[in-house]
Amino acid sequence: MKHPAYHLRANKAVDRLTLVDAIRRLEKLSEDLADYTYYGFGGPYLEDFRLLYEFFPELEMVSFESNADTYKRQRFHTPCHSTRLKLKKTEFKSFLARYAPGDEKSIFWLDYIGLEFSYFEEFMTLLGVISPDSLVKITLRCEPSDFLDRDETEQKKKREEFRARFQALLPSASSEPPLQFEQFAKLIQDMLQIAAEKALPSGLPLRFLPISSFCYADGVGMFTLTGVVFTRAEEEKVRHAFRSWHLANLNWAKPKTIDVPTLSTKERLHLQKRLPCYTNPGRTLTNALGYLIDVDRTKTESKLRQYSDFHRYFPYFMKAIP
Amino acid sequence: MSRTSQAQYAPVDASPVKSFFVYMLTRDIKLEEAILDLLDNCVDGILRAEGKTNKTTQKPYDGFWAEIKFSRDSFSIADNCGGIPWNLHNYAFRMGRPPDRPPDTPGTVGVYGIGMKRAIFKMGKRCLISTQNGEHTYDVEIEPEWTADEKAWNIPVHPGKKTMKEDGTTVVVGDLHPAIRDRFGADGKSFKSDLELMISTHYAFIIDKGFQVKINGDVIRARATRLIFTKSIRNQKKEVIRPFIFKTKAHGVDVFLTVGFTRPIPSQDEIASEQEEKRYSSLDAGWTVICNGRAVLYCDRSELTGWGEAGVPRYHTQFIAISGIVEFNSDDASKLPTTTTKRGIDASSALYLQIKNKMREGMRLFTDYTNKWKLRPDESKKQIESGDSLSLEEIKSESKRLDFRPTKKSIPAGSQFKPELPLPKKIDPQTRRISFVKSKADVEEVAQYLFENRNADPSAVGDRCFTLIQKEAQK
Repeated sequence: MKHPAYHLRANKAVDRLTLVDAIRRLEKLSEDLADYTYYGFGGPYLEDFRLLYEFFPELEMVSFESNADTYKRQRFHTPCHSTRLKLKKTEFKSFLARYAPGDEKSIFWLDYIGLEFSYFEEFMTLLGVISPDSLVKITLRCEPSDFLDRDETEQKKKREEFRARFQALLPSASSEPPLQFEQFAKLIQDMLQIAAEKALPSGLPLRFLPISSFCYADGVGMFTLTGVVFTRAEEEKVRHAFRSWHLANLNWAKPKTIDVPTLSTKERLHLQKRLPCYTNPGRTLTNALGYLIDVDRTKTESKLRQYSDFHRYFPYFMKAIP
Repeated sequence: MSRTSQAQYAPVDASPVKSFFVYMLTRDIKLEEAILDLLDNCVDGILRAEGKTNKTTQKPYDGFWAEIKFSRDSFSIADNCGGIPWNLHNYAFRMGRPPDRPPDTPGTVGVYGIGMKRAIFKMGKRCLISTQNGEHTYDVEIEPEWTADEKAWNIPVHPGKKTMKEDGTTVVVGDLHPAIRDRFGADGKSFKSDLELMISTHYAFIIDKGFQVKINGDVIRARATRLIFTKSIRNQKKEVIRPFIFKTKAHGVDVFLTVGFTRPIPSQDEIASEQEEKRYSSLDAGWTVICNGRAVLYCDRSELTGWGEAGVPRYHTQFIAISGIVEFNSDDASKLPTTTTKRGIDASSALYLQIKNKMREGMRLFTDYTNKWKLRPDESKKQIESGDSLSLEEIKSESKRLDFRPTKKSIPAGSQFKPELPLPKKIDPQTRRISFVKSKADVEEVAQYLFENRNADPSAVGDRCFTLIQKEAQK
């Protein structure tokens, strides 16, 4: 089975590190992170598991994989002992049917690579069974070109197919898949908001609150939403835990775009002394470099604003001798 | 007291209890359906404003609108549909329909005189109804104290504070019940999505006639069922894909029934994958029943509409392409086969039971076609895709060219068009079907090897494998 080089995708790497930040703030809701279990899809390199073990060695971790060869590669790449990480050779859907957490708190990352109605159903099912103070992150494909076609009839069919597949979750019965990436990401976020409201309606004691949402493209567009499930009476406590985070999105606002620039290590070290930068970071960092890194000044400032926002999450890719 | 002595029994009090109307009757209806009742009143208003509509055009309701707004604090619906005539004020606000009410305008759906009041009490304790009809402009205000007072049955009426640009009615509901406040507030996004879907499907036929509905500023587009119809001009062949049609007039009700395909029949792979993993959040399959323009049942796939009865198989994914519409129209709404909520069928109605026979007769044609062609979905796809996808009105118009036959033996008598659907050439009795299951990864690997395409159709992969081995065997 072929896999993209997940570990070399810069924007995805940034998104992964924002999860680390979110978990740090989640700690404010719980006495001990050791009470939590992390569940993820891992992929062949178990990159998220490697990262979480590095930052939170007290977390128990469980990975799901249904492909036999990918499972073998996971066993090869396991970042820690099996007492900490359990590799399950199963489909997530099958796990979900048996999942009964009781009081156990969980962190889930439903890291899908496509966009299917069944993924929204799994998200809703999970919200319906998960215990309070748990965190759920979901990633979905967000590619407007999937619904475009040179042939007008084919394109009409694709767009009609989109409506038929997702109708029950669309904010408007006549919603079309938008052509623009950021607008498409907002539509997927709206669909997840509707799914969350349906899974945990106001009459129930638990609620899902978003804490961050991002869209990014390392070749293919993706959207990712992270949120917390909690007892409604605890809402202020939850909001307080995440309010000060500069990446927080607690009100279903427009998703933030991750589009980090390609900078050399030397450039990054040069900019480091000016960070964090709170006033006009795009212009400040462009002036600090003294040259453009994109086609014009506006785009350069925009890229460096991104760098300012995400520099703490930005991975270093180095040449290493094995 | 001795059994033989005569007891003095006072008459029992059988007067209505207000809380029954305010708190109990409201449980019989979903919030979305209650709001549709208010929309029904808007459309009934248009019909009363006869003379303003142009019935000869395809869009007789052009220029008429209703606007729904909701938030966690209030709900409102405003329209320009003619207002409530002052001569109806003693009836429009009564709990139930008094027998001396003058007969209503043909085509309206109000029968029981409960819809508006039930919708208001479903949502909140306070309401202001402002209406303008001709020279009369007046406000009717219901306050929480009124709903709590068992003895007070009169509601004060005041002259309208504002003159409206056009005749119409605005209903504003406040003091919302806590559960309603949550649905309009915290769950507002999902509620709007559900309400919009319901209006776009249940009101599709009214919207198509020009009526405009807005929810919180967004205009709702109609989502009507469309059936495949091969037009005779394009195709002279007899055996083509067209819907079954039956029409009649019985018990003072005009009935138009049609059933056919909405899309190509599914392949075996599609059926298997849909059963394993739900790909579609909703389906157009099943029966839609329309009474005086409003859908009272939408895409039903149960015994209520004849599935799984009298030779019709139970609904299954393989019948995903079959859909039907039955339209009942009557000047007297009490003759329509609906329940009091107007969102359900009165399954015991004699008229409906008779029409259901025809629904099953039509359905059998298409379940039979599906079964005959299910192993050749590609050939069937070509037949279905060569037709046009027509709305109910377009089918009615196109059906004028069809050869309708009288159905004197059926009850009720009417006329029908029974399409001659294509039949596959006889399957050679020597053929055998082979089917087997392999892991997805293995199928993709072989597909890549044979077709240089991992996503090639699994049945094509299996077929090619067999052909290759057969050649080996024949060497």
